[in-house]
Amino acid sequence: GSVAVEDQPDVSAVLSAYNQQGDPTMYEEYYSGLKHFIECSLDCHRAELSQLFYPLFVHMYLELVYNQHENEAKSFFEKFHGDQECYYQDDLRVLSSLTKKEHMKGNETMLDFRTSKFVLRISRDSYQLLKRHLQEKQNNQIWNIVQEHLYIDIFDGMPRSKQQIDAMVGSLAGEAKREANKSKVFFGLLKEPEIEVPLDDEDEEGENEEGKPKKKKPKKDSIGSKSKKQDPNAPPQNRIPLPELKDSDKLDKIMNMKETTKRVRLGPDCLPSICFYTFLNAYQGLTAVDVTDDSSLIAGGFADSTVRVWSVTPKKLRSVKQASDLSLIDKESDDVLERIMDEKTASELKILYGHSGPVYGASFSPDRNYLLSSSEDGTVRLWSLQTFTCLVGYKGHNYPVWDTQFSPYGYYFVSGGHDRVARLWATDHYQPLRIFAGHLADVNCTRFHPNSNYVATGSADRTVRLWDVLNGNCVRIFTGHKGPIHSLTFSPNGRFLATGATDGRVLLWDIGHGLMVGELKGHTDTVCSLRFSRDGEILASGSMDNTVRLWDAVKAFEDLETDDFTTATGHINLPENSQELLLGTYMTKSTPVVHLHFTRRNLVLAAGAYSPQ
Amino acid sequence: MESGKMASPKSMPKDAQMMAQILKDMGITEYEPRVINQMLEFAFRYVTTILDDAKIYSSHAKKATVDADDVRLAIQCRADQSFTSPPPRDFLLDIARQRNQTPLPLIKPYSGPRLPPDRYCLTAPNYRLKSLQKKASTSAGRITVPRLSVGSVTSRPSTPTLGTPTPQTMSVSTKVGTPMSLTGQRFTVQMPASQSPAVKASIPATSAVQNVLINPSLIGSKNILITTNMVSSQNTANESSNALKRKREDDDDDDDDDDDDYDNL
Repeated sequence: GSVAVEDQPDVSAVLSAYNQQGDPTMYEEYYSGLKHFIECSLDCHRAELSQLFYPLFVHMYLELVYNQHENEAKSFFEKFHGDQECYYQDDLRVLSSLTKKEHMKGNETMLDFRTSKFVLRISRDSYQLLKRHLQEKQNNQIWNIVQEHLYIDIFDGMPRSKQQIDAMVGSLAGEAKREANKSKVFFGLLKEPEIEVPLDDEDEEGENEEGKPKKKKPKKDSIGSKSKKQDPNAPPQNRIPLPELKDSDKLDKIMNMKETTKRVRLGPDCLPSICFYTFLNAYQGLTAVDVTDDSSLIAGGFADSTVRVWSVTPKKLRSVKQASDLSLIDKESDDVLERIMDEKTASELKILYGHSGPVYGASFSPDRNYLLSSSEDGTVRLWSLQTFTCLVGYKGHNYPVWDTQFSPYGYYFVSGGHDRVARLWATDHYQPLRIFAGHLADVNCTRFHPNSNYVATGSADRTVRLWDVLNGNCVRIFTGHKGPIHSLTFSPNGRFLATGATDGRVLLWDIGHGLMVGELKGHTDTVCSLRFSRDGEILASGSMDNTVRLWDAVKAFEDLETDDFTTATGHINLPENSQELLLGTYMTKSTPVVHLHFTRRNLVLAAGAYSPQ
Repeated sequence: MESGKMASPKSMPKDAQMMAQILKDMGITEYEPRVINQMLEFAFRYVTTILDDAKIYSSHAKKATVDADDVRLAIQCRADQSFTSPPPRDFLLDIARQRNQTPLPLIKPYSGPRLPPDRYCLTAPNYRLKSLQKKASTSAGRITVPRLSVGSVTSRPSTPTLGTPTPQTMSVSTKVGTPMSLTGQRFTVQMPASQSPAVKASIPATSAVQNVLINPSLIGSKNILITTNMVSSQNTANESSNALKRKREDDDDDDDDDDDDYDNL
């Protein structure tokens, strides 16, 4: 039979009186007893059962604190906190400062933890062993505690090794239930629209059915599939409403296709060049960077609440003329779009004022007309890049907004912040369209899937969640990082997700199957930026350890063992191949790499602020 | 920036030692030495505020002394004002469920810039950032007096320069002198009687700042910053949050040195 009831959001859970689960003075004995039992169990079961230590320890401690048994709580903590795994040290430090019930009141993360069930995945054999032991009469109390606070997801099969377990644990909520990762996700890409391309001289043949001249397809990856068959993994074209293509968008696409032909094919023998943009004299005030898709503009968000936009190309930034001047120009002339721009105030840099707190997120719109910035003041601002003024301030998060991103098709954008939710907005709605709630701690990072139907969020609760834009449901939960997640990126084909956290590891996830498929070790500090190359052959990662590393993505994703067993249980044996996958490490001079970008021709642009120690 | 080198215990007052210990217990090992001072100031301010409030409550209840209940009440009241915490999870899940039920709205085609209704936009400000150049002031029809001006700030493309490979975007062309600090300005409302020149600002700029004639053609938009983010002291503003200010060591007006600076990085 199942162990515990479903983890339903229960409104009364927070307010319910503590259900006396046992004599507080006996907690130490309960825990010691269980510890003894687990340590004496067979090797093959011990690793799995050891997963109980941490959640039980924290839950029992929090119960003691919540019910104001301060002394018992303190001695309980003293006795057992040293036994816990090393990757929980940060949590334990926070716990050690929570000694009174009043301390807990302000800490939403701890309250959420207390009212959620920590998920453990244990094989049936180990579970039977545990159940038999705990249901013996003298252990009934701790069995009640286990039932109250833990959700044990049972799977049939071999017990997992410590190594396998260590790869997947670490999050504040335990692992993910297998069913949480079972729903169908449409990870395929949307079809590219048909565009009439003006024929080049060399290309007499005309277009294939997708509207692209036939000669322009050096790559094998399907950015736009050649066949008319619907990709079964791609969402229907109108699953979510998307803005129609304007003429300027079509011109952009044509430019994009032209650039694509000149793209360098990358691989282990052909690594990209890296052009690094160093922000000097920023005095640690650089808090966000974004680059437009065509690599023409760079925006920086700063701790002094300004957003600065630079032109990367020699072409200067021009804003539209004032209304009085606009009335003077000849509207019929061919170059009217040039004439409306004000030459007198053209410059390489434009500064945008408006936020009242450090700017933590920045995102250009795909059509380069808008810039979004999110700030500690709780707002997300939309700026026009034609007048360089602020157009809208979106208020919803009342707490710092750590990240924001435009959808790859424009119109929608997502933001995530300290209030533990991510919000989906549309530029013409002053309130969010979707609220993605479920994380136990701050949402640090928000990214759209290339098909704009899903949003990935990385959180300080050390999980990555994938949300469906259509209905706001959480369709995937990925655990395995041991620290807050600071960077996320989707592969261009939409099938994979790469995530980086403060533990210095980059984890690779297969979205369709909901599995971890790779672990890239190498960085020694927080991985704060990740980007796949345009065709997905190389993954670039930038870190606070002042390096950029390039990884072989093709190799990392090939030969995945995704048979029925692994899909059913979610276990996979990760090969220790970080060294082979690492193609290059590039050091900067005391400059953490805050942003990475691949130009359309596969040149890497990296950005960071020079921070000498 | 520098790691927290503890002053020897003898020279630090007991409070400072305790604060250092608290930081250590919370796992913070790297911090500037002045963080301890700031934390102590905060602690002092917080405690005095609470105790003042507690005294008021106690006298309101006509008690002879201030007791723990008064303090508890004071803490609770202040907590609701200043240290609010994000909404609880059940509340968030609830509003999320409501919000996620409505289907995504259809997008009207050909509707120009897609912005919310005007009253939710910031497209009609009733103030204007003052430019430094003596332009004939054109009221764009929506500006109301008085013009707000803060100690002037000149924004210029001098720094941060991007370390681009193409030389023309290097700082060669933009050595126009040290900009004034951007934050830490006191918010003053001046009647637009006089156009105070940029230099005569209400900023006690550091001594190293030189007054260089600004070449107008090199400046982009020269705007005055109205800041609402106050920084405690001028010095901290200058040091910590000024993204544009050139290093103060460059107080000699030898522009050629700048190239060397960048080479050394």
